[in-house]
Amino acid sequence: MSTQIRLRDCAKTFGDGTRALAPFDLTIEGGETIVLLGPSGCGKTTILRMIAGLEFPDKGGVITFDGDDVTHQSIEKRRVGMVFQSYALFPNMTVAQNVAYGLKVHGVSREESDARVKDMLEMMHIEMLADRRIDQLSGGQRQRVALARAIAVQPRVLLLDEPLTALDAKLRVRLRTEINALLRKLGITAVYVTHDQEEAMALGDRIVVMQKGEIAQIGTPREIYRKPQNPFVADFVGAANRLDGQMRDGRLHIGTHVFDAVDAFDPRHGAIIDQGPVELFFRADGLSTCDAARAHVTGRVEAVSYLGERLRLTVSGIGAQAVIVDTHADDVIAPGADVHCQINPDRLTVFPVGAGAGNSAANQSAHAVS
Amino acid sequence: MSSVQNIQEGRSRPSFPFGFLRRATPGAGSPAILALLMTPGIIIVAAFFLIPLALVAMRVADGPDGWATYFVILTNGRYFASLVQTLLMSAGVTLTALILCGVCGLFLVRNRFAGRNMLMALLTLPLSFPGTVVGFMVIMLAGRQGVIGSVTDALFDEKLVFAYEISGLFIGYLYFSIPRVILAVMASAEKLDPQLEEAARSLGAPTWRVIKDVILPGLMPGLVSSGAICFATAMGAFGTAFTLATDIDVLPMVIYTEFTRNANVAVAAALSIALGAMTWAVLFAVRCFVGSSADTAARGGA
Repeated sequence: MSTQIRLRDCAKTFGDGTRALAPFDLTIEGGETIVLLGPSGCGKTTILRMIAGLEFPDKGGVITFDGDDVTHQSIEKRRVGMVFQSYALFPNMTVAQNVAYGLKVHGVSREESDARVKDMLEMMHIEMLADRRIDQLSGGQRQRVALARAIAVQPRVLLLDEPLTALDAKLRVRLRTEINALLRKLGITAVYVTHDQEEAMALGDRIVVMQKGEIAQIGTPREIYRKPQNPFVADFVGAANRLDGQMRDGRLHIGTHVFDAVDAFDPRHGAIIDQGPVELFFRADGLSTCDAARAHVTGRVEAVSYLGERLRLTVSGIGAQAVIVDTHADDVIAPGADVHCQINPDRLTVFPVGAGAGNSAANQSAHAVS
Repeated sequence: MSSVQNIQEGRSRPSFPFGFLRRATPGAGSPAILALLMTPGIIIVAAFFLIPLALVAMRVADGPDGWATYFVILTNGRYFASLVQTLLMSAGVTLTALILCGVCGLFLVRNRFAGRNMLMALLTLPLSFPGTVVGFMVIMLAGRQGVIGSVTDALFDEKLVFAYEISGLFIGYLYFSIPRVILAVMASAEKLDPQLEEAARSLGAPTWRVIKDVILPGLMPGLVSSGAICFATAMGAFGTAFTLATDIDVLPMVIYTEFTRNANVAVAAALSIALGAMTWAVLFAVRCFVGSSADTAARGGA
C-alpha cells in the first residue's frame, strides 16, 4: 500500500540563523502526487529534503510515514527514491549497474536483481542502453535511468527535485507526460519540486505553492489556477496583469465603470470585503479587445507578438504597469495604435490593496525562470 | 596561410604573423611546420635522456661479468635485498600517504573552520624543502638528540632512536609526499557531486558503501596521479637518505656507493637501469589496473 506522509509543526532554521521554513503542517495521502511550487529560495527543496531525511526539522517537528515516526531516521533507513536535477548517476557504473545498485545494497539475489533491472529498463523504454556508460547518454536518457534506479528498490515514497529543469522544452513536456503515466501506474506517493507552473499543473493531484518559507496555498491545480487565495499565488500561476479598483457597497468600481457579482477576498482575515481599495489580478483573458463604443478601458499598444493561434499585445495606459491582452491572430495591429478593451469581471481575482507582495512576487518568479 | 585565414576571419582582427601557432586545423598542411617546431624538443630529449640512458645501459657490458651483470644484481643477496627494500618502502610510503591525505584532503574540502588556510599553508610547506632539509628534520625528530628520544627517555628510561634507518627514511619521505598528494586529493574532492552521495544513501547505502562506491571512484584520478609521483619520488630520492646515514640500503644509496667508492661502474649502471625499469613497470601496472576505471570516473564526472 502507498505510504501516507505527515509533517507536523515542521520548521527549519539553518546553522547561521536564517529561517528557511516557518512551522507548517502538511499531509500527503498515500498514492498522491503533490507538487511543491515556488520561486527559488522559497523553501520547497528544504521540505523535500526533510521528507528524504537529508535535512531534519527544528525541535518539535514530527515526520511520520504511515504513522511511523521517521523524524530522526536517516535517509538510508527511510526507503525513499530520489531523482535529482543533475541526474546524480554513478559515472563508474553502467546503466544496468546503476539501476541494480539499490538492489545490490539491499542484498537482493543476482537473478532477482537482473530480472527487476530488466523490468525497470523496459518500463522506461531504455532496455537497449543497459550496457552503456553514463557519459554516453543524453540528458533525457539519463533522467530515465535515474527514475528506473529510484523505483527499482520499491521505495515508500518517490521524491523528485526539479527533475526536468536541465532538459530542453520539448523533451521536458514529453518526459513530464511519461512521469505522470508512471506515477499513476505505480500508485506511489510522490513529492515533486518545481518552479514551473505548467509542470505543477500537469503532474500534481495537489499543488503546494510556497512563498519565502511559508505555504501560500494548497489546492488542486484547478483551485490554484482559478481561485488563488492571495496576490502572490495569483501572480505566480500566471495572473500577472494588475489593475487598481475600488469596492463600494460590494460592487467593484474600475474607473467610471461598475461591476456586480465580483467578490474581493481578504486572505489576511479569510473573509469577503465590500469596501476599500482593491487590486485586480488577471491573465490575458481578463481583457478582450472591442470597439470604442463598448470599451471599458483604452490603452496604447507598446509591443505586438505573434503567437500563431493568437496575437499578444503589451498595452500601456490601462494600469500602473503594462498589461498583456490577447486578440485574434488575424487582426492587424501595430505598436503605437490605440486599443479598446472590455473587462471580463468573472476572470478577475480581487484582493484588498496590501494583501500580499504582488509586485515583488512578480520579480521573484522572473528570477526563478531565468 | 595565416594571412589567408586572417582575411577570412575579418579585417578588424590585427594580423597575427604566427598563425601556425594556433590550434592546428585539420587538413591545413601544418604537420610539417609542427614537426619543425618539435625538433628542438626531440633534440633535447635525445641529448639529455635517450643518449645518456643508452650509454648507461651499455656501460654494464664493460664490467667483469659483461651483460650478465644484470643477473648478478638479482642473484647477489645485497643488491637484491636493496631492490626489494626500496620497492617495499616506496609502496609503503605511497599507500600511507594516500590513506592519510585521502582522509585529510576530503575533510579540508568539506569543512570550513578558523585556521583552515593556516593549516593548508602548513601542510604544503614541505614542497619548499629539499631532501637534505627533510633529512635534517627527521634527525631533529627521531635522532640521538631528537624530540622522540628525549620523551621516551623521560617516560620509559629508554631512548627511541630510528632516524638513521629505513623507518627514519619512511617518515622523511612521507612528510615529503603529503603536500603533493593532499593537493591532488583536494582538487578531485572539490569536483565530487554531493548529490551522488545523497543518491547512494537514498538507495540504502551505509557510509562504508558510499565511500567505496562513490567517493573513492571519484577521487581515483587524483589518487592515481599523485600516488605515481609519490612512488617515483620515493624510489629515486637521494638527499634525505644521504643526510640520514650512508648505510641505508636503498637503491639510490647503493648506486652511489658502487659508483663513487667502489668504482664498480657496471653494477651501478645495471642497478640504475633496474631502478628505472622497476619504477616504470609499477606505474604502468597501476595505470592498467585502475587507470580505466579512473578514466571513466573522470569523464563521467564532467
